[in-house]
Amino acid sequence: MAEMPELNPIVHGKLRLALLSLLAGVEQAEFTWLRAKTGSTDGNLGAQLLKLEDAGYAAVEKKFVDRKPQSVYRITEAGRTALTDYVAALRLLLGGSL
Amino acid sequence: MTESLTDLEITDRLKLIETMMAEGRRKTESWGWTFLLWGVAYYVAIGWTALAPAALYGRALAWPVSMTAAAILTGIVSARKTKNQAETTLGRAVGSIWVGMGLSMFFLFMAMGLSRRFEPHVFVAVVGAMLGGANATSGLLLRWKAQFACAVVWWAAAMAACFASEAQVTWAFLAAIFLCQIVFGGYAMLRDARARKQFEAHHG
Repeated sequence: MAEMPELNPIVHGKLRLALLSLLAGVEQAEFTWLRAKTGSTDGNLGAQLLKLEDAGYAAVEKKFVDRKPQSVYRITEAGRTALTDYVAALRLLLGGSL
Repeated sequence: MTESLTDLEITDRLKLIETMMAEGRRKTESWGWTFLLWGVAYYVAIGWTALAPAALYGRALAWPVSMTAAAILTGIVSARKTKNQAETTLGRAVGSIWVGMGLSMFFLFMAMGLSRRFEPHVFVAVVGAMLGGANATSGLLLRWKAQFACAVVWWAAAMAACFASEAQVTWAFLAAIFLCQIVFGGYAMLRDARARKQFEAHHG
């Protein structure tokens, strides 16, 4: 068992980690695309995205397309840094346990 | 955080990050169908031109009608498929290449047709060079050797058009369409379906 020292709890949540990783690979993504890729429910997805927003890791733009509301998400610089740091910490843990 | 993770859990997390990032970067839509669609449209136009009686006025409309129909179909289907999709710089770059090439061909061949300066050798040479250029650029951007191979086939057809007889040029054009539109389009669709299945297997 490897000890987990400085793992960011916001990034550590599995769905939030998946969302940040997805957003890191695109410029911006619509709510429904994120839902399809993660297979999560609307409520859970909305709650986790809100946590990422509150932490400043994701930004949302709400707009109307064809009179339908659309939420478009993108990763922020802080989110990208947090994800990079998280990956580095995981690699360190994995290396340290070998 | 003080909780512990096993090596397996850490590896799992890293794998999740990698897969999700790759999924975001991957072309989320299969574009193989557009290659197939345009390949069929080329064959329809060629068949229409070759088989329609010379006196029939509709023969002159074979290319404009087939190409316009393919363009409209591409627009409608891609608008539906890309709705609510993630946007990537790579996706926009590849899309721009094909839109730019399509518009260039549309204006050039429309002008050639209207001015009655349409000539089969020139037509195949220009189509081959343009499709070769678009496939090569897209293949290099996507690091996709199969698409770059299509570019080589189109360039070969373009070069053949400069030296060969009209019958040979027609065969070269038909062969290039078959390889680079029909075969490559089918292969791209299979590849995308396989990648989608793998992703779904990993992430339920």
